[in-house]
Amino acid sequence: MTFRSLKRLFPFRSMRAKLLVCFLVVTIIPLLTLGALSYYQSAKMVNSQFGKYGENAVAQLEQQTSSYLSRMKQTTEAINSYLLDPARADLGNVAPTAYQEILDKNDFEDFLKALHTDRTAGIYVITRSGYFYGENNLDVAKLERTLAWGAESDPATGENWLGFYVQEHIVDAGSPERPVLGLAVSINNPYGALRGSKILVEENAEDLLRAFRLFERDTKAHLKITDPKGRVIYETQPGIPPGDRDIVWKKNLSANDWTIEARLPARDFFRSSGIIRSNTVMAAAASCLLAFGFAYLFSSRFTARIRRLKDSMQKVSFGKLHTRTKVEARDELGSLDISFNSMVEGIQSLVREVERTEALKKEAELRAFHYQINPHLLFNTLNSIQWKARLAGAEDIRQMLYHLAMVLEGNLEITQELVPLGRELRIIEHYLKIQEVRYGPVFRYELECDESLKDYLIPRMTLQPLFENIFFHGFEDGKGGIRLTIREAGSLLQLVLTDNGTGIAPDKLKRLLQPDAKRKGKGGLGVQNVDQKFKLHYGPQYGLTVQSRAGQGTTVMIQWPKKEDNRNGGGKHD
Amino acid sequence: MKKKWSMALAATTIATLLLTACGGGGGGTSESGAPSGSPAASGGGSAGTQTIRFATWDTGDALKIEQDIAKKFEESHPGTKIQVEAYADGFDQKLAAGFGATNPPDVMYMWDFPTYHQSLEPLDGYVSKDASLKVDDFYSGLFNYGKIEGKLYGIPAGFTSRVVYYNKKLFDEAKIPYPKDGWTWNDFQAISAKLSDKAKKQYGFGVRASNDTYDLQGFVWSNGSSFISDDGKKIDGYMNSKETAQAIQVFGDMVKNGSAVLVGGKGQQSGEDIFKAGKIAMWESGIWPLESFKTAGIDVGTVEMPAFPGKPVKGVIAESALSIAKDSKQKDLAWEFVKFYVSDEAIKMRKADLPVRVSVVNELKLDQDPLYKPFYTMLERSDNTPAFLLNAKWNEVNRQLSAAVEAVVQGSDAQDALNQAVKDSERYLK
Repeated sequence: MTFRSLKRLFPFRSMRAKLLVCFLVVTIIPLLTLGALSYYQSAKMVNSQFGKYGENAVAQLEQQTSSYLSRMKQTTEAINSYLLDPARADLGNVAPTAYQEILDKNDFEDFLKALHTDRTAGIYVITRSGYFYGENNLDVAKLERTLAWGAESDPATGENWLGFYVQEHIVDAGSPERPVLGLAVSINNPYGALRGSKILVEENAEDLLRAFRLFERDTKAHLKITDPKGRVIYETQPGIPPGDRDIVWKKNLSANDWTIEARLPARDFFRSSGIIRSNTVMAAAASCLLAFGFAYLFSSRFTARIRRLKDSMQKVSFGKLHTRTKVEARDELGSLDISFNSMVEGIQSLVREVERTEALKKEAELRAFHYQINPHLLFNTLNSIQWKARLAGAEDIRQMLYHLAMVLEGNLEITQELVPLGRELRIIEHYLKIQEVRYGPVFRYELECDESLKDYLIPRMTLQPLFENIFFHGFEDGKGGIRLTIREAGSLLQLVLTDNGTGIAPDKLKRLLQPDAKRKGKGGLGVQNVDQKFKLHYGPQYGLTVQSRAGQGTTVMIQWPKKEDNRNGGGKHD
Repeated sequence: MKKKWSMALAATTIATLLLTACGGGGGGTSESGAPSGSPAASGGGSAGTQTIRFATWDTGDALKIEQDIAKKFEESHPGTKIQVEAYADGFDQKLAAGFGATNPPDVMYMWDFPTYHQSLEPLDGYVSKDASLKVDDFYSGLFNYGKIEGKLYGIPAGFTSRVVYYNKKLFDEAKIPYPKDGWTWNDFQAISAKLSDKAKKQYGFGVRASNDTYDLQGFVWSNGSSFISDDGKKIDGYMNSKETAQAIQVFGDMVKNGSAVLVGGKGQQSGEDIFKAGKIAMWESGIWPLESFKTAGIDVGTVEMPAFPGKPVKGVIAESALSIAKDSKQKDLAWEFVKFYVSDEAIKMRKADLPVRVSVVNELKLDQDPLYKPFYTMLERSDNTPAFLLNAKWNEVNRQLSAAVEAVVQGSDAQDALNQAVKDSERYLK
């Protein structure tokens, strides 16, 4: 699940929600995967182990029971083979009275006693008359009343498995009645003694029944032992109705074809894995909650700073430029805060700068309005004067007027603030013609400017005031040399205006370019205006520098960026 | 910020661990649990305590009393534990197994010294060194039973002689005077016949279907005979003598003529139970059933054994002694326990047999109690040596003798049966 598709599903609006989701996805997916995996693994393991355990337990029970049964069987077989000995032929069906018979009886009973083990509850041979061999504590009448005793024995083997019952047919009243496992075998040997008698072997079944109970308690299974005829030998109390989803372990007893069957309701079988499941689910839920809590806390802390930054930005966008955001840490967000703050600072100072320059422009425009004369009036008047001069034959005056009109035209055409260099230079030519008419050819003017530079722009009427200064402050009666050099220096244009006039006194020079310096008398205002024009158009780092030494002349240097005039308006860098 | 990250990480890790832990542990995989308790928690006593194993054949009330004695000993001997091992019917088997594996109990009840004496510690040294035993306080005859070839292997712990119990009520109903010391077997048989009524299933006397021949020796000795010669070498002429046969025949005859009933046979109640039920008037036995007769509410009397005309009455003593195993690792402590077991304090606790110390009898005035007196007069009459002490092969002989006696009470002729038994037993004495 990529973030993109997540986004399609939930169009999150806030960074926090996104972060929260990211965070949760990152933590919960492995968490749930791990949980599910560990649950399935352990449940599988537990179930298979429990299954194996149950199977083993049943196998063990089968073995335990079989060991009882087969030993009982062996006991009866030993008795049978003892009786097959021809020497035992005298063993009778009634109480012996003669010395030799009694010896035989004692031998036989000693033999029976020798067959006793610590589990034996009784070994008897009961004759048809009711007389029996074995320990002196059997009540035959009571035994006859035992239901199982009268049951048919297997015709093939003569066996009659009596199953589990309480040994009630013992005379000795002192001992408590105990559960036993009984086997009765009819003596069918055609040649041996005591034909038609029954062997009764009883083993103390307390341990075996305890093992059954232990098994029932451990596995919660329902145990049932049945004989081939379907008679129930043993069954867990209380019984349960069999279900078709029950787990069943089944074993056959080799000794006598009994079937031992342990039945466990599926519910109980899967109980332990259920416990694991509920534990896993609980733990997973708890960890998810924990993860959610942490994610929430973390993302809200994280995004709170972003939000604060955002709010600050919004405030700034509404114009509250004094807004600053708090810097909390030295991480990326912190540096973002710092950058934001310095950016706003920058904007603020820029705005202030813009305001200042705007104010200056306005002032300049106002001043311009102030000085504005109706150009038509001026030109018409100048034409009239020209006309008069021609009529009067004053050719030089007419020429001066013509050049003045050209200079004024350049000066008055205020549609364009920036004009090509070439045009500015032509205006200078006109101006210089006027001075030539006035003073005669007493000054030198050298221009060094590559033709290719003449398309670059220069603020309007910036050179004329400088020349004016030269003629009115630097030269006397128009005598001197002027040199104008324009070169390109990288992306800049460099203009150098040199004269060999009187120069400017150092104290005056100091005040020359300070706009707020108190002005003493005339002069300097032009230079200052020129400097301001460059600064306004191109930035404060451009403008004039003036070097001068008294009696040696003055050098004015101007630097400004190259901008070419294109008729579509707007300059461009190259 | 960094802190936050690691915290979140830690939480996730913890949760994961929890998960896996639950997954692993919740299953309750049935691996066998760790062995409970310390490895030292085995049967043996820890270093601090010494354990004495004490084997007894007793069961029921007698066993309980013995356990109480053991507890008393533990109280007076801190750091000692007495482990009472009740072997009951399997006594001989288990004891033999213990000796065979050289892991016998330290102290045990003992009577069959001829069989076991080689595995037992001779005690003469302990007796002569330890004055606190007060040897002179014992009935002197009792030590004879624990001696083999002059060495003492057992300290007498209890004994009983045999008397005739009678049900006073039955005598009163039949208006028959109670039997008195000095009566004869003829008196006995006459009284028994009078008190028998087959219709009521009531008899004057109960004859055991299977007798311990040891107990019959008193009758045989009373008739001037014995089962074996005094030097223990001959049985012919003793076991099958006319006198022996006559003594045994008494019981066979009584069963035959209905003046007595066979008891304790196949599917029959024991004589004690029938006596308690008031269905037999007289019963011959030791001290053991006396308490149970009293609790059963029988008004019981005791009397010496009858005499054969003109011959002194003789008794036989059943004695139990305490012995110490030769292989015991703590013989001194075992000796302390034996000594305590035959001390006045312990003797007074025991009810199932008679005190072995004269001082206790005097203190309790038992020999003046009419119920107990016959036991002590019979004790004085018990000076013959039992057959099993005279010949090591007696157990083999006894098989035939027992069968013969059983044949007699089942109706066979005593002389014939005993002759056969002697004939069959001769080979063991060669």
